[in-house]
Amino acid sequence: MEKQRIDELIARYNAGLATSADQKQLEHLLEQGIIQVHQLQELTALEDQLVKLNEPVSSKNLDEQFYSMLKMEKQAMITTSAWRNFFAWPQLLPKIAIASVTLIIGLAAGYFMRSPATVKGDQQIADLSQQVSDLQEMMMLSLLEKESVTERLKAVSLTDQMDQASHKVTSALLETLNNDENVNVRLAALEALRPYIKDSQVREALVRSIAAQESPLVQVALAEVMAQSQVKSSVKELKKILQNEKTPSDVKKRVQETIEVLT
Amino acid sequence: MKTLQPELDALTDNALMLKVKDGDLDKLGLLFERYKKPLFGFYYHMNKDADLSEDLVQNVFYRIMKYRYLFRGEGDFKTWMFHIARNVNHDHFRKNKLNAKDSLETWQERLGTDENRSTEIQQDETMHLLSMAMDRLPEDKREILLLSKYQEKKYKEIGEILGCSEGAVKVKVFRALQELKEVYQKLEMRY
Repeated sequence: MEKQRIDELIARYNAGLATSADQKQLEHLLEQGIIQVHQLQELTALEDQLVKLNEPVSSKNLDEQFYSMLKMEKQAMITTSAWRNFFAWPQLLPKIAIASVTLIIGLAAGYFMRSPATVKGDQQIADLSQQVSDLQEMMMLSLLEKESVTERLKAVSLTDQMDQASHKVTSALLETLNNDENVNVRLAALEALRPYIKDSQVREALVRSIAAQESPLVQVALAEVMAQSQVKSSVKELKKILQNEKTPSDVKKRVQETIEVLT
Repeated sequence: MKTLQPELDALTDNALMLKVKDGDLDKLGLLFERYKKPLFGFYYHMNKDADLSEDLVQNVFYRIMKYRYLFRGEGDFKTWMFHIARNVNHDHFRKNKLNAKDSLETWQERLGTDENRSTEIQQDETMHLLSMAMDRLPEDKREILLLSKYQEKKYKEIGEILGCSEGAVKVKVFRALQELKEVYQKLEMRY
């Protein structure tokens, strides 16, 4: 559109003589950026007045509410930040490291500080136990030589209180089993030796003892021990009991059963 | 803005908002002082309800605060703010099902307040008539004229707020002013 026709169009509009077709054309020219709103004088005057329109004023409530909101948000941010910082790896890692090192140092210090005392204590207890054990052993050996059957039985029963009888004790018990004049003492000695039958020396000594025994009760008891512990090497010795004419028939019968179990 | 204190002008809106984004929330107070008045004016001229307008202004700054991380600083803060303001307004009326603002009842309320205001408010007749004419405009036209007023006729920025071209904004402004003129002239004849 020529400039002259545009000017005429604007002039018509400003004079209030624009038709609806003119207005359509003006809209088109405005949209294209060919003319500007401020060229339309009446409208510009109105728009300018609009700028001067009295501004309403808000109450103090608005300010109070806004600053209260801001304060709360700041508080929330500080709290969040504090927690986030606490759990943030760059901050958390040294804390964990320090805590771990402190714990390790503490444990190590505790260990080294307690250790000598414990070792010393353990040693003392071990020494004390050994002394008690030695004392019991000495007492047992001493009691076995007593004439009183009760004392000798007491001596045999002392082995129950020992955690592990020494070779000296088992030898003394075997000696009692083979040579004590009292059957009850011999039976008690056999009972006391039962836990040590796994010891080959004790086992062999028990096997040799079978033929040496004269008491049927001890013979039967020995046969039972052999059967329970499956000492097959005892069969030869057990057969000697069968071959002995003095052996009572009941005993022979029990021994025979034992031999059958073992073979 | 002419009403701003000189020390507040030392920092641009965008610079302040970027500081807010970085966690310096005190700077939001400066932006609030700078824009509470135009925002309140925008809402008040839209709904003529002072309490509601204050709530909506508060809502705008709440959203600015909550979604500060979305501000990139590439565009104009004021444009971004009015974009939020417009969304807040729409959300409010959609939520409260008050979209029928231009119903007869609302019109009657507006007209009633106009009559009262003519005696209550001391201002010259032109301004009073203009204010009344604005109240009688449909919402979309009133909105674009208020955006033009508060955005200082920056049609490109208004286009960004409304999501249309600068040319389309000019046509909308032209049509709104055209209707405002007609309503104004009718009121002039009445009073």
